[in-house]
Amino acid sequence: MTCESVLKSMPLYFYGELTPAEEDGMEEHLHRCRSCAREMERQRALGVMADRHRAEIPAGLLEDCRTDLMAAIQGGAGAAERGPGAWRLFLNAVSESLSGWSRFRQPAGALALLAVGFFAARVTTRPAGVAEAKLALAPSDQVFSTVRSVQPNPSGGVQISFDETRRRVVSGPMDDQNIRRLLLSAAREDNPAVRVESVDLLKNHSGTSDIRDALLNAVAHDPNPGVRLKAVEGLKPLAAEPDVRKVLAQVLLSDDNPAIRMQVVDLLVEHRDDAIVGVLQDLMQKENNNYVRLKSEKALKEMNASLGTF
Amino acid sequence: MVQDVAEAAGARLTTQADSLIRAAQRGDQDAFEQLVRAYDQSVLRHAMNLLRSPEEARDVYQEVFLKVFRNLHTFRFDCSFHTWLYRIVTNVCLDHLRKRGVRKEEPAVVETGEGPLDRLENVEETSAHADPERNMWNRQLHERIEEGMRDLTPRERMVFELRHYEGLRLRNIGEILGTTEDAAKNCLFRATQKMRSALGDLV
Repeated sequence: MTCESVLKSMPLYFYGELTPAEEDGMEEHLHRCRSCAREMERQRALGVMADRHRAEIPAGLLEDCRTDLMAAIQGGAGAAERGPGAWRLFLNAVSESLSGWSRFRQPAGALALLAVGFFAARVTTRPAGVAEAKLALAPSDQVFSTVRSVQPNPSGGVQISFDETRRRVVSGPMDDQNIRRLLLSAAREDNPAVRVESVDLLKNHSGTSDIRDALLNAVAHDPNPGVRLKAVEGLKPLAAEPDVRKVLAQVLLSDDNPAIRMQVVDLLVEHRDDAIVGVLQDLMQKENNNYVRLKSEKALKEMNASLGTF
Repeated sequence: MVQDVAEAAGARLTTQADSLIRAAQRGDQDAFEQLVRAYDQSVLRHAMNLLRSPEEARDVYQEVFLKVFRNLHTFRFDCSFHTWLYRIVTNVCLDHLRKRGVRKEEPAVVETGEGPLDRLENVEETSAHADPERNMWNRQLHERIEEGMRDLTPRERMVFELRHYEGLRLRNIGEILGTTEDAAKNCLFRATQKMRSALGDLV
């Protein structure tokens, strides 16, 4: 082997990536070439130093990560690409909540009715944007009907009364009033997946008072930690406002999720005021999560404040 | 004999992991959680090594395992789960490294359970505490390593981390990064070359 090829293979030799024959050639060369042997020593020293450079996982971080992950999954964040999708779930929920119609769904009945070529549109109010032909001839699983009565009429035909629930699709920009209204409504839906998606979309538009209030409501009251985390993110640009800080301080002292408390500490200390010192000192009295304690302690030290109240 | 035992143990672990994956693919959340716990420590350590920031490592963790959760149904057992997982891990980490810029300074101080920790202090050997000269030499050496690391491209850094810290074979690294074994070898060569020259005359 030449010096050039030995230098090229040095890391491979060090990491055991050479064949036995290549290793033999390498060792033979290193035995007789002082310069390459010296380079090999440097390679070994690098290995030792790199070992010492290995990062440690801070205490509590792994547990916090696991908590965050499970909260996000239970909150629906993980479902975004599975099943019907959060946006679809949301539309479903909005459609139901706005229609006020029956929640009974009998797609099989609807298909049967449509298959025998009934009328349909003549006895119902058709939702805007849905073509008559589509309604009558191309039934889909997005139409759900419940037949309430069937009566023969004098002309030899039949009159059927039924409730219909129809899924509607709306789309538009975030500054559209209707879209925003629907999202605000969705942020209060029962389905946590819908709330996570809605708050996630709203959080980038926290400048208006209705969205700001929705985010504050979510961070303080939503039972799902995934939703609360999204709301905290959305409040970041507003973290200097006194009433937002007040809510955040309450959340910091009462939320049972350490991931949320961590985020809230970050937000509060970004814009320091006298009140935050007292809040962090109160937190230090009761906080049992090491990572949150560490963060609060660091913030208090940076503000030259004592760690406890006296 | 020893090899047989090791192979049998490896096969048993693979079978266990496979049944967890299949159960998680069927929507069993407990199985998914067990699967996460089997791999998440090494993923988090890898992210910490690469990014040197608990906050970013935490983001990487979340991003990686949400992707796993969402895409586990697409895993077809045509490679090992570890390789499939590390494809996701390396993509997410490379994104983070690229976003922050290859040459951005990394914080010398990291947070730990016992308070902020200066990583330069951390490398000092116990015996070196009573020896200020050795202490300073260690510091200099460590600073040079830091410099060398900062000089690596995200891809070189990734190959170095996977080989040195994770102990993966270069063939496997190539598979994870969607490249050839030779390309991974070249990356490792460039990475060690840069770092050896950063050490200068200190060793």
